Parts: sequence; C-alpha cells; structure tokens
Amino acid sequence: MGEKARVKQKFCGNCGNHNAYNYPDKIFCSRRFSDNKNPIVQTLWCCEEWNPSSQECYCVEEAMKNKSSK
Amino acid sequence: MQRKDFLQEPVKHIKINGKLTVDQLIQQFKNSGSFGAGRLSTACDIYERMARDDECTIFLALAGAVVPAGMRSLIADLIRERLIDVVVSTGANMVHDAIEALGGHHYKGHWLVDDYMLYKYHIYRIYDVFVPEEDFTKLDYRLAEMFGEIAAGNNGKSLSSNEFAWELGKRLNDSNSILRAAYEAKTPIFLPAVRDSEFGFIHWLHASRKNCRNPLVVDAFKDVPEIVNICKRSPKNGMIVIGGGVPRNTVQSAALACKKGMDYAIIITMDRPEPGGLSGSTLTETVSWGKVKSAADKVMIISDAMIVFPIIVASVIERLGEDFKRIPYLKRRDFQAVGGT
Repeated sequence: MGEKARVKQKFCGNCGNHNAYNYPDKIFCSRRFSDNKNPIVQTLWCCEEWNPSSQECYCVEEAMKNKSSK
Repeated sequence: MQRKDFLQEPVKHIKINGKLTVDQLIQQFKNSGSFGAGRLSTACDIYERMARDDECTIFLALAGAVVPAGMRSLIADLIRERLIDVVVSTGANMVHDAIEALGGHHYKGHWLVDDYMLYKYHIYRIYDVFVPEEDFTKLDYRLAEMFGEIAAGNNGKSLSSNEFAWELGKRLNDSNSILRAAYEAKTPIFLPAVRDSEFGFIHWLHASRKNCRNPLVVDAFKDVPEIVNICKRSPKNGMIVIGGGVPRNTVQSAALACKKGMDYAIIITMDRPEPGGLSGSTLTETVSWGKVKSAADKVMIISDAMIVFPIIVASVIERLGEDFKRIPYLKRRDFQAVGGT
C-alpha cells in the first residue's frame, strides 16, 4: 500500500478527499467544501492538502485520456 | 371443531385467458386461495377494506431499496391519491428519492459483475441496480447547502424527522418525488433512522463547514408524540409494511403506545421468524405485544415487494374505480373542527 501510494501522481483524482462529480474530468473535494472554497475542481488539478487515496480508481487515467483526445 | 368444518371450501383452479385484468387475475388467485396466491389476494382485499374504511388511517412502512429499484412514482402517486396517510421510511429510500429529484438516475445493472471494477469507476451496486457516485456527490453538495438554509430558517430549533422531510420536499421541484408529494399533500413522513443513511454523511459535511455555527438539529424523539398522536386520534389504524426493520417497528410501537393495536396489517417480507428479528416476525407474534389486534384483518406475504406491492395497488385501484375519492379521517376531522362541512 505504502509503495503504491508513493508512486501516485499528485492529482486531485488520486487524493483521499475526492469523489466523482462529472466523471472523469471533475471531482468534488470534501476538504475544500469544509473550508468554504469551491469544492468542484479538475481531476488533474492538485493542491497543497493532497493526500494519497488508499484505493485505486480510474479517474486520473480516464481524465488523462479525455485530455489527450481533445 | 368437527371434521366437516375443515372441508368447507374446495380449491377452485386458476383459469387464465388473454384478456384478464390485474384484478381478475387476483380473483383467480382468490379462487385457488392457496399458498402465495391466496395470501396475495387476501392482501388486496385488506387494502381495499382499509381504503374504504372512513375511520382508518393507513400507514406505509418502507424498508429495503425499493425506491432505487423503481417504486418511487408509485408511492408518490399513492400519497397524492390519499391511499396512504402516513409514511415511515428508512432514510436511504428518501435519499434515493432526492437523488432522482435532483436529476440523478438509477441504472439497470447486473448482480454478476466485477465489483472492484465498479468501485474503480465510482459506481455503487444495489443488487442489480447501479448508481453513479456523482449522483450521490451532487446530492451531498446540494443538500448540505439546503441543511444550512433549513437550520438558518429554524433559528436553532430542533425539527422532528417529519418536519425535516417536509423541509426537503418543499425544496425539491419534482412531481414524481415522494418527499415533494408528502410535502404538498401534507402527508406525514417519518424517518426514524434518518442518520443511518447518506443524510447522516450530508449532515456531517454541513456541520463541519468552517462557518457553520448553527447546524441543523433533527430530534428523533420529537417523532414519537407526533406519530402516537396520529394513532390515538384515529378510530382505526392500518399498516402496509414493505420489508420491516425500524419503519415497521415505529408504526407498530405507535399502535402499542396508544393501547390500540393495528386494525389492519399487510406485511410483505422475505425474512424468516426463526432468527428472532423483527422483519421476519409473524403477525401472531406481533399480536403478543399488543401492536396488532388479535381480531385484526391481517396477512403476511413472503415475497419480493417489488413484484407484489405494485400488483396489490393495481388490483385495488381497479376495484375502487376512477371516481373513488378518499379523504383521510384525520384531515376530514381537522377540516370539520375549523368549521368546514
């Protein structure tokens, strides 16, 4: 788990605070919501509060595919 | 009893043709009178009698994921047609109602699926129904805002779960919504285990915001006098139970608290009595508590409510006919009390 977490790229879509919002491009950040900031952010964005998600998902992979196809 | 008393009514065999209506099929089930078919026809008879009984208040206890599976509009219609007077539901069913009211959907899926793949795609599974996570997320976001509005509007005063449900219904603009229908019809809708659902997580989101000084307070104990009072004021009470659990016991306990017991009871469940859980407990067991009258008109159907309940409703509305109009006893009484005729 620790090994995998270290190799995770620092994107919101790999962060433990993320939930799908407009899959796969936008996510809802519960941390930003509680801080009264706009909680809807790009999956491929990142902030200084980033912490790695403990489980895998396809958000970053699919958001990257969408980005490259545009 | 004598031997001949056991042999009064022969089984009549079911006859089917291509023109049978739902109620005609139910009448064929009644002719057989056997097994699940017999119980289903009895349930239709009991619901019809409840609906025609001017003194009866009809409670619907709702547990199990019937709203995501497709029973949402049916229940909203029953509320609007006044064929249900009080709803007691799990929080989860109303969460799924609100998801659709806010534009989300439930999707036909399959039970044979790679659940870890669903997890990675942010899709949740309810047996063979799929829900995308973003529909929950949008609900969380919108409702956390609504919770703030509701709390601000009530100046720190606690709400019963019924008041809370109506506040939500007032803000959901969807005629197929159960919460909206209950708000418009002023049909009480109790959510006794409200925090055991996404509503609990939404409350945490709302209350943990930095500027939240006045979080919403829903007081489950406030429900008790409200629902007991409804039972107490009604000359007769009937319940239709889908599933069981907390909603079933909330309704039954209200009947017990006012020392009346239910006069009518239909229970649809797949649970068994042997493990001692409430959802599978038989109606005779419920009689022992005084929650259902010994002489009550009652039946328990062991079946999938997604199949059985729509059939019961279809049969009963066919019997009642298009011109049938029902005014719940308590609404009629309250109307007369303020000088109506």
